[in-house]
Amino acid sequence: MPLDTSTYSLALLRLDGRRWNELRRIHAQISTQAAADGSSYLEMGNTKVICTVAGPAEGRTGGAARGGAGSEAKIEVEIGFAGFSGVDRKRRGRGDKRTAEMCHTLQTAFSSLLLTHLYPHSTISISIHILSQDGSVLAASINAATIALIDAGIPMSDYLVACTAASSPTTADDEVSDPLLDLNGLEEQELPFLTVGTVGGSERVSVLVMETRVRMERVEGMLAVGVQGCKRVKEILDGVVREYGKRAVR
Amino acid sequence: MTSLKRSFASDSSAPNLSNKVYVRSTKSGKVQKIVRELYLRQDIPCSSNLCSKCAQIAPTDYNNKVAPFVLSDTPAGTKAFPNGHYLVPDTNAFLTGMDLFEVETAFYDVIVLQIVLEEVKNRSLPLYHRLINLTKNEDKRFFVFFNEFRLETYVARDHGESINDRNDKAVRKAVQWYGEHLQEAVRARGKSLRCPSIVMISDDKENLRKAKAEKVPALSLSEYVSGLKDADLLLDMISAGREQRENKSGKGELFYPEYFSLSKMLTGVKAGTMHQGIFNVSPYNYLEGTVHVPAFDKSLLVLGRENSNRAVSGDVVVVEVLPKDQWKAPSTKIIEEETLNKNDNADAEDGETIVSERERRALQEEVKRVHGQSVEGRPQPTARVVGIIKRNWRQYVGHVDKDSVRSSSKSSRSQQTVFLVPMDKRIPKIRVRTRQAGELLGKRVLVTIDSWDRDSRYPVGHFVRSLGELESKGAETEALLLEFDVQYRPFPKTVLDCLPAEGHDWKVPKSLEDPGWKGRKDLRDLLVCSIDPPGCVDIDDALHARPLPNGNFEVGVHIADVSHFVKPNNAMDKEASMRGTTVYLVDKRIDMLPMLLGTDLCSLKPYVERYAFSVLWEITPEAEIISSQFTKSVIRSREAFSYEQAQIRIDDKSQNDDLTTGMRTLLLLSKKLRQQRMDAGALNLASPEVKVQTESETSDPVDVQTKKLLDTNSLVEEFMLLANISVAGKIYEAFPQTALLRRHAAPPKTNFEELGNQLKVKRGMEIRTESSKALADSLDTCVDAKEPFFNTLVRIMATRCMMSAEYFCSGTQAYPEFRHYGLASEIYTHFTSPIRRYADLEAHRQLAAAIDYEQLDPSLHSKAKLEAVCKNINVRHRNAQMAGRASIEYYVGQALKGRIIEEEGFVMKIFSNGFVVFVPRFGIESLIRLRDLGTPEPESEFDSENYVLNVTGSRNVKVELFQKVKVRISDEQEKSTGKRKIRLALL
Ligand SMILES: [Zn+2]
Repeated sequence: MPLDTSTYSLALLRLDGRRWNELRRIHAQISTQAAADGSSYLEMGNTKVICTVAGPAEGRTGGAARGGAGSEAKIEVEIGFAGFSGVDRKRRGRGDKRTAEMCHTLQTAFSSLLLTHLYPHSTISISIHILSQDGSVLAASINAATIALIDAGIPMSDYLVACTAASSPTTADDEVSDPLLDLNGLEEQELPFLTVGTVGGSERVSVLVMETRVRMERVEGMLAVGVQGCKRVKEILDGVVREYGKRAVR
Repeated sequence: MTSLKRSFASDSSAPNLSNKVYVRSTKSGKVQKIVRELYLRQDIPCSSNLCSKCAQIAPTDYNNKVAPFVLSDTPAGTKAFPNGHYLVPDTNAFLTGMDLFEVETAFYDVIVLQIVLEEVKNRSLPLYHRLINLTKNEDKRFFVFFNEFRLETYVARDHGESINDRNDKAVRKAVQWYGEHLQEAVRARGKSLRCPSIVMISDDKENLRKAKAEKVPALSLSEYVSGLKDADLLLDMISAGREQRENKSGKGELFYPEYFSLSKMLTGVKAGTMHQGIFNVSPYNYLEGTVHVPAFDKSLLVLGRENSNRAVSGDVVVVEVLPKDQWKAPSTKIIEEETLNKNDNADAEDGETIVSERERRALQEEVKRVHGQSVEGRPQPTARVVGIIKRNWRQYVGHVDKDSVRSSSKSSRSQQTVFLVPMDKRIPKIRVRTRQAGELLGKRVLVTIDSWDRDSRYPVGHFVRSLGELESKGAETEALLLEFDVQYRPFPKTVLDCLPAEGHDWKVPKSLEDPGWKGRKDLRDLLVCSIDPPGCVDIDDALHARPLPNGNFEVGVHIADVSHFVKPNNAMDKEASMRGTTVYLVDKRIDMLPMLLGTDLCSLKPYVERYAFSVLWEITPEAEIISSQFTKSVIRSREAFSYEQAQIRIDDKSQNDDLTTGMRTLLLLSKKLRQQRMDAGALNLASPEVKVQTESETSDPVDVQTKKLLDTNSLVEEFMLLANISVAGKIYEAFPQTALLRRHAAPPKTNFEELGNQLKVKRGMEIRTESSKALADSLDTCVDAKEPFFNTLVRIMATRCMMSAEYFCSGTQAYPEFRHYGLASEIYTHFTSPIRRYADLEAHRQLAAAIDYEQLDPSLHSKAKLEAVCKNINVRHRNAQMAGRASIEYYVGQALKGRIIEEEGFVMKIFSNGFVVFVPRFGIESLIRLRDLGTPEPESEFDSENYVLNVTGSRNVKVELFQKVKVRISDEQEKSTGKRKIRLALL
């Protein structure tokens, strides 16, 4: 096995050679599936995600799932993990709690971001497939969903972009800990981290999820770095969208 | 549909991205393929102070700090490298020569490559940690260069190339790059600076050959060391294993069976056909080992060299149980390595057999013994070692066997192989190759075992350093500390930096508004005093008692508030947690915390104000607890008594001040508490405690006395127990999963079988063990009207049948398992000695959080972290006790040196060729062998059922268990261990 995160302090280098404030390579494409209303493919390092958006569509017939009640569109989110996405070949069932929580996070975040009042009695469904997991899965899902929604032409107030931030392990002698940006899978297993999502790369935080314990005084640094990271993710995604727009016009 | 395949165009934006793919197999046998990204970069500095270019690209951390450059601009040189040099060792260099890299006379300016660090970690975690510690040692200037992340030094693995070859290539590449980079750097500075050479150190012949071909400066470890000043001394420190293997490969004689593969063992253990446990060697018989495994009540016996198959005491082994017809009774004979294999030649490579003829005979005699009916004689399951899960080798202290040295001339520099005899009798002799045999004779030396191959009867090791002359106080004390792994170096600066800046002038703040007073009760008006052994300077605890209007009493135990000064996770806390406990030797104390805290700021000294953590109870005159309360406080102790002074003050009828009355109240209550405890079944066990009186100037031992126990001793003890129990309840209530507690398991019935049978056969007495109460009661009945000491003797022997108490984290055990058997308490912890025990400090933190005084540090929330802490302090605690005992033993030996005394003793164990006598006056026990009784060695007849040894021949005497005997005590230097030891002779 290679080294672990405790070697960060030796040369301020992370397990994959990045510095504390560097994102992994982000690669994104939109309109990857012609059949869908909107679609995208996004890689953050080795985390690979496909997202398709259907709708807004009039509520399906029959049953309780009849569109959004009242004057706003209802947003449905579905996340599926491919059996081969992790290191172990494992099926994550539909009833998986963590998956359900991720769906819920996306749903609430986008409900307040999309201009849902424009589409009363209808449904927008976002379907995400995780092809490969290597950390920051929730963040990647949010980013992929954002550009797929743009591809679908659904009006929204601004980009919702997300990334993760962690706190590096402290060394024996000093208390100093660096916040680390955009974790890969190994770092996620070893370090306390949070996922932060901001609107339009500004400082308006709309998603904040943290499931691990961390010293209170470190949160501020993690959050600051996370918000900075979001700003950069926004620039990259914005570039992808504009590039696609240019090509579509041509 | 658009292709999802990444276009090459998008890749070109990241030319410095590479993937690392590797396959690993998990414990359960699954194979996982792991793909990891690698970001290659050009801004990783070389960290040489010669280079100004790298200084500009040095990375900054979140706080904009730049790590200082490590490598010196004027590194030391050797004859071959007059311009100075930086070393780049490869993995094997570290694996075989870690001791060398740690010496203080050489090996500075070392570049540790990432790939090497990684490989060292895979091969040996302890060595990895030592290497990491070296990189943190500023004086040694070890720099970790992340060669795998630097674009120029990254090498891809060629098709068909083995991983090892690729890694060797990476090392050479890094050496090459460093060389060119430094030359450039020196040229850039323009001045006529010397450009240091970059030297690769490797023991791999192929790698060295390739390096030569590529014109990379490279040397083998021994070649390099030969060019240094104290080459002879240093050469001995290279691990022996490798070299010797090369020497011997030719002769293929294998003495020991091969170990099973790990997977075979794991499957076997899972299936129940094999068992895993810790290998222990009997202190009386080096050929008899035991392994306790869950599947068997009694420990499995491992007899003889072949069966123990290179296991060393302390190793975690896997054993296979032998067929029932090979089950044997444990030995009743003393077998010592030194007497059997005196004449083995350390150099012998031919004609060496695994079991020497004498060993075989000694064992056969054992087997011939009729399997009697007594418990001791009943055959026990035997087993053989089939593999090792984990070696527990450490550094061993010992001395060079005089007889194994070929040429003992001090000037001889020829290399020879000698035997090193470890101080610990359970460890086999170690073969060591050295060029300084002559100089090492008569010295205490430190060695490590490197390997134990199938073709070598003894393990092979290498010499680390000499501690000094045998029997000199310095060497013996250091030997003892090393043997018990006591960290005795002075506290490093990082630790001392954590102390309050005011130093000895620190005072409890005057103003009650000061943050230090927040949440503290002002208890300065209470008449508090402390009672300790005479001369005690680290006063952990103080007490008070005063009557309440309702007729009850308020009693307070005040404990030094160490957690106020030692904050979790700082350097001082880390050091204390590693040390675990203060170690008390006869003439020396090795502190857990720096002196400033232990003996001054924390110590509850009289007449000054001190921070404390107080436990306050309301207690009825019948010693029933009405309520308890915990609070941080400030106290002012009125007096520090010794046990004796306190006793005199209490007994002095003319003293009737409030302080004395308070002490009388405490004494009265403590007696009732004690009675309650005894009624509940607490055990009153005995261990021989002696005190060595030393002349204060020279600390030479003058006399030995057994310790006296006064009422005031138990006064303090009772209230400390009470405080510990109260606190244990409180922290468990607050943190049911992570409270740090102490438990004492009930001894398994089989532990008492032997003692019970001995008492039954010899005295018609009975020991009952179904509960601690029953045991306590039955121990009370074991009295001999004519011999008052008999009861104590039985208690001493009973103590040895007990389990040892241990610290644990509450979430790891079910509540019934919390029980402290010896104290007959449901729950218990250590709270009252935070200055000298780390467990107490952690309990303080948990209690402070339980009463909402402060937030609990996350490390105390984590079960895994607490478990690690418990594991360490359990070991440290045990080692400290053993070190203390060994120190007393050494000083008793010194005190009796040259004297001959006749004393009474008691026979406490009988073998077929000797017996053990305990001398109460000095608290010593020693073996009297048959051959000590007369020459020629007398004949003996051993009646194992009645524990009688009939000696006839040159001496006619009958010895039986529990018999009172007269012995002559003299001293001798024990040949096998080099220790000065008591020698007893039967009169
Ligand atoms: Zn440089």
